[in-house]
Amino acid sequence: MRSSAPPSRVPDVLIVGGGLVGCACAFHLARAGVQVLLAEASSLNAGASGQTAGSLHFQIERRFLEDDGNGSGEIDRIVSLNRLAIEEWAGLENALSRDLDITMDGGLMLAENEADLALLQQKSAREAAAGLATRLLDAGEARAMLPGLSPTVRGAAFQPHEGHANPRILADAYADAARQLGATIRTGTRLDALSMTEARQYRATLVGPAGVETLVVPQIFVAAGAWTASIVGRLGLQLPLFPVPLSLNVTDKGGPELPYLVQHVGKRLSLKQSEAGNFLIGGGWASRFAFRADGSIDLDTPPLPVAESVSGNLQAAIDVMPALRHRSLVRSWTGITCISADQLPIAGMLPAAPGLFVAAGGSMFTMGPVIARLLAAQIMGRAEEADPIAPFTPARFAHLNAFAVLP
Amino acid sequence: MTGTTDKIYDLAIVGGGPAGQAAALQVAAAGLSVCVIDEQPLPGGQVLRQPAAAGAGAGWMKAAPYRRLAAQHAAFVAEKRIDWIGGFSVHTASRQAEHFRLSLVGATSRSISARRMLIAAGCYDIPVPLPGWTLPGVMSAGAVQTLLKAQGIVPGERCLLFGTHPLMLVLAEQIVAAGHRPAAVCFAQSQRQMLGRALPHALRAMRTPGPLLAGLGAMARLRRAGVPVHFDASVQRLVPSTDGNGLGAAEVAIAGRTCSIDADLAAMCFGFMPQSDLPRAMRAAVAPAHPAGWRTLNDAQMMTDVPGLYVAGETVGVTGADAAMAEGKIAGAAITHDLGALDAVSHARIASAAIRQRERLNGFADLLAAMADPREHWPEVEADTLLCRCEDVPCTEVDRAILQHVDTAASGGASAAKLRCRAGMGPCQGRGCEHSVMRRMAQARDLPVADIAGFRARFPIRPVPLGSLVDPD
Repeated sequence: MRSSAPPSRVPDVLIVGGGLVGCACAFHLARAGVQVLLAEASSLNAGASGQTAGSLHFQIERRFLEDDGNGSGEIDRIVSLNRLAIEEWAGLENALSRDLDITMDGGLMLAENEADLALLQQKSAREAAAGLATRLLDAGEARAMLPGLSPTVRGAAFQPHEGHANPRILADAYADAARQLGATIRTGTRLDALSMTEARQYRATLVGPAGVETLVVPQIFVAAGAWTASIVGRLGLQLPLFPVPLSLNVTDKGGPELPYLVQHVGKRLSLKQSEAGNFLIGGGWASRFAFRADGSIDLDTPPLPVAESVSGNLQAAIDVMPALRHRSLVRSWTGITCISADQLPIAGMLPAAPGLFVAAGGSMFTMGPVIARLLAAQIMGRAEEADPIAPFTPARFAHLNAFAVLP
Repeated sequence: MTGTTDKIYDLAIVGGGPAGQAAALQVAAAGLSVCVIDEQPLPGGQVLRQPAAAGAGAGWMKAAPYRRLAAQHAAFVAEKRIDWIGGFSVHTASRQAEHFRLSLVGATSRSISARRMLIAAGCYDIPVPLPGWTLPGVMSAGAVQTLLKAQGIVPGERCLLFGTHPLMLVLAEQIVAAGHRPAAVCFAQSQRQMLGRALPHALRAMRTPGPLLAGLGAMARLRRAGVPVHFDASVQRLVPSTDGNGLGAAEVAIAGRTCSIDADLAAMCFGFMPQSDLPRAMRAAVAPAHPAGWRTLNDAQMMTDVPGLYVAGETVGVTGADAAMAEGKIAGAAITHDLGALDAVSHARIASAAIRQRERLNGFADLLAAMADPREHWPEVEADTLLCRCEDVPCTEVDRAILQHVDTAASGGASAAKLRCRAGMGPCQGRGCEHSVMRRMAQARDLPVADIAGFRARFPIRPVPLGSLVDPD
């Protein structure tokens, strides 16, 4: 299907970035009749959205438990958004009229020692307080659910809605639906220049196969993952988003059967079996950035794999499911995601730049669909009174832009 | 990682064929430490593939075209200073601060460190999809030749050889010598096309007339042995046998007329592609190879744009075993000089002799490439013809993935289609289907194939059991 002809009129909203969040937002805006133009520098889904392993994880993540033992309330906000994300994912195949390989049969977070068990207990209590159902299992119950678990597993927390989806097709599905509703999507089209006009609108120059085009739009949504900070930087504005190079591994197809998402409360591990039968093994293991000649990080070149990360990650998987040792690694891949200074997503409008919206900074696969929908509502001025993504507003970093000079 | 030894080699060579052997001999003679890693247990590469068991017969090695290669091979086997690491694949390699680290997997796993690295990994048959190509009994010419060389076996009674590459004549003669009679040799191109393409290179090729004369002789001998050699004969479909267990026949259009040739074995031979997954995964610069695949780019010293990483032989473009040997010498001398074990004058002397030798051979290599050019002769595929045999992805699904995103930037390339239809995601990681996917993408977008970016190369370049990646030996 060809993208539709250039828009007959100036779009109401320009979206920069054709990943999951950009495409999903284009869909929600187009559905409400908003004239949308989405520009993607490469091809759709080429960045972190297509590089993730596609976990749907709703239990409190290990990284939050690592250095936030007593809780600041931030985690609880994530948990309440997770409840919305569960509903969003459960209704997604209907909303997009398409099979998205979504599996939501539950997920186990494993514990292998006393410290792990204590963390699980503490985590479960906080989840209960925030209204998210998780069930603590002893070693026997965990192995009854998943007979392939190693005898070293001492217990687990089970969340019945966790699972995984196919990250290779989700952004496309949103994009196709958005096009059908009249959105214009241009790939191979990069944002060459961005400035604010006297009337506080945004002048964007796009360069792509269609040529060079400069347009002025009242609203712009930057959903460009690790590139978001540098795009916003063109306006002299700052966002504390930092690129993170990660690595993931996939095995050949075969047994043992694994119907659940498996994570570990004390180790970096996320493990699941794709619809096709391959095991996807990740959990936040580092790869190494490529650098440009001038010494700066090269976000346009895939990061290099790190042997210790690959073997460390595989070891963590084999430790909890020993039969995996007989599967073969067919591919390790690397990708770049980004995290914010406080590890929570940054989603919403920048106070310094009315009409400029962003969404980036962590958990954007699991949270992407719901954040994109709520952000589309914000863009249209239809956000609810108690906007569930209000806690993620860029306003919490407004102090960084106290000295920005804009028209 | 596992099995690490403290020893740091001066040079690690990947590939024990003609190029790797030439370089190893050069480097070892200067007293430097060198190891040669190969997936086969014994040295020789594909061209001098050694019999797996005594008595399987390697009489073919005595034939004229193999004589120089066989002499080098004997010297290589006799050279005790070269560490032979046979039966291992390199699955991951990277340059770390001062040296290269190569992770190997075979019966066990181990890793190697070396100050310089040379990839001389050879080439493989271009797997060409056509209706019926996944039937048992349909093989690459290289695979049939491997069985002949290593086991003395021809895995069928009536072998049809088809494609565009004159190697078919060599293989057909080897099959005859093994006591079988091939069903036919079918060149897709006409004799007129073949000669027309050869003509511009004929003069230069006459500097090394041996192979040309051998080819003509082979054709005459095959005809005497009752083996039909057809031109303008394109195989359109491979048809199952009546019991459905394998190949039964081939539908062939000979000079426009379709006929059926009975065969229980078909050897496909449309030419060869460099083994490029290791240099690509190491991020060495590559360019499209003729007629398919990727050749690694090198400077006059055979070094890539990755400092300290050298390439030789078919890795830099498929030009034959003798040219590979010359390139191995050039690389070996350059590395020895680079490591301070060969003075500049001796280096220049060895290098210029090898460069002259390679240039002499280039005439024939160019002529052969032109004669064998398959690009106007790729068979037509059908909607359900599998392009990716690992993931069972039919042509129609690949086309849908391409067309769905016809507006996708060329920068997305074949990887964008791969993500959408799984072609290239199986154990072979696209070694088989990448060129087919790129070609269909080029057609759909009306672009030259050279404008399509290939699959992104990833480690490991061979599947590795998880257990061997995490455990010490």
